[in-house]
Amino acid sequence: MMYQQTLQKLQTVTIAFEKWLNKVFSQQYNPFYYHGALPNFFMWTLFITGILLFVYFQPTLDSAFISVNYISTKVPFGSITRGLHRYAADAMMITVILHALRVYLTDRYRKYRWLVWYTGILLLIFMFVIGITGYILVWDERSYMIVLMLASALKQIPLIGGPLALTFVNGDLVTSYTMAMAFFLHVGISFLLLYGLWWHYLRISRPVTDVPLGLGLLLFASILIPAGVIPVISGKPAVLTQTPTEFPVDWFYLWIFPMFSSMPAMVVWTILFIITAILLAVPFLITDRPKSPATVSLENCVGCTLCAKDCPYEAIYMVPRTDHPKYKQLAVVIDARCAECGLCVGACAFKAIDLPYMNSQEVIAKIGDIMKEPVGAGV
Amino acid sequence: MTEKKKILGIVCERSVNLNKHLLGNRLKDKNNVIVVSMPCSGMIQPAMLEAGFKAGAEGVFVMGCQIGDCHFREGNKWCQDRLLGLRPPNIKKTVDKNRVRGLWLSQVDYKKFLEKVEKFEKELEKLPKEQTEKPTSPAAKV
Repeated sequence: MMYQQTLQKLQTVTIAFEKWLNKVFSQQYNPFYYHGALPNFFMWTLFITGILLFVYFQPTLDSAFISVNYISTKVPFGSITRGLHRYAADAMMITVILHALRVYLTDRYRKYRWLVWYTGILLLIFMFVIGITGYILVWDERSYMIVLMLASALKQIPLIGGPLALTFVNGDLVTSYTMAMAFFLHVGISFLLLYGLWWHYLRISRPVTDVPLGLGLLLFASILIPAGVIPVISGKPAVLTQTPTEFPVDWFYLWIFPMFSSMPAMVVWTILFIITAILLAVPFLITDRPKSPATVSLENCVGCTLCAKDCPYEAIYMVPRTDHPKYKQLAVVIDARCAECGLCVGACAFKAIDLPYMNSQEVIAKIGDIMKEPVGAGV
Repeated sequence: MTEKKKILGIVCERSVNLNKHLLGNRLKDKNNVIVVSMPCSGMIQPAMLEAGFKAGAEGVFVMGCQIGDCHFREGNKWCQDRLLGLRPPNIKKTVDKNRVRGLWLSQVDYKKFLEKVEKFEKELEKLPKEQTEKPTSPAAKV
């Protein structure tokens, strides 16, 4: 299939590129070997700077703009903290996209990994909501514009659109509730993000969640320098009697707004819906040979737990057994999680766990056989 | 002509792509190297290395992907740890560890792979022949 061949080539290119990056960063600090930990690093930066900003921020229509400006101008390190919060958000989106591309290009998103891919999509949607509501909190002209455009676009969605729009506006009116809701969504969904992440890690043993110190400092510098050099400032304050006409766009979070202004809202929603549907369908586009998960031999398993410890996908757990005079535990494989990678086979010294499509005893027999072939055989 | 030393390679199918370079189970460029491929280097059991030596291999190398990158997340790490004796199950003490190598290379590293195998072969030649020349090893001098 064309699609698969293209992906195969792209995989080789990606791995060659990563290999080349090793020359720059060395293997220990290669950011691509921590691609999942990168957004995580920025997420914690966002949590910490967010809590710091929260100390001075006042989520009301009257004082939001003033308090944000107060943070920028009067609070020590306020401008830097605000800058870090903004640029970390952008960096998180960039690294999330890199992370998604990387797992896609190296074929690590489907089969037993589909749930991780799905929760990733959920987390991405959360990120957009957090990002957009975050831009409302500043309450400058752009914020006002976002609220108006979002509310009118939401109203276009049949059935659920009306109530959804009421989340932000009362009829057509921006009220104090608008700011409260934006603030609640911004903070509330940030914490929901942690729940999503737990789900994201659920089928992964020992997820790599942290970058090494050296890389962390480098990443921090990558947001600290912009925060110092190009401080984040608000636009003109929002005036409810004047409807602004244009605003600067953050292309990582606010890209839907130029779409809303250039085409009917329903078209935009349809496009977003199709993109989501494609992302949801992606893991199932390629068909594989039928699943043949690892199997445990009841006679041979001694309950040593080595396979359960080595399994990289939390697919093996130990259960107590009573059928054996000596051995008290038995390894059990969760078929749906099994990657058929054979790491458990490598961990087993008792011929107790094996892949049906590649039996370890057959491999050992094969090694004996082909070693006996004289040179030149098999031509 | 002296016969070349038989070397067994147990390799991960996702590391160096050998599809084009194999004739049967042997490397086209070095026909004393016999290759068995695995879904992941993490699946390699110490018993497989032992089987190789038992069947007459002078040396056995294990090949997995670049450390830091494994399709199955941790396979090459576990395999490397096993070669180093840091992770059970261990390789039997009767196996001469000088005759075992771990290579950690990505799909596109065929050239490096050949170099490393050649180096391994040369190092094997320097080793005393098994059993016959035992006293030359430093441990025996004590």
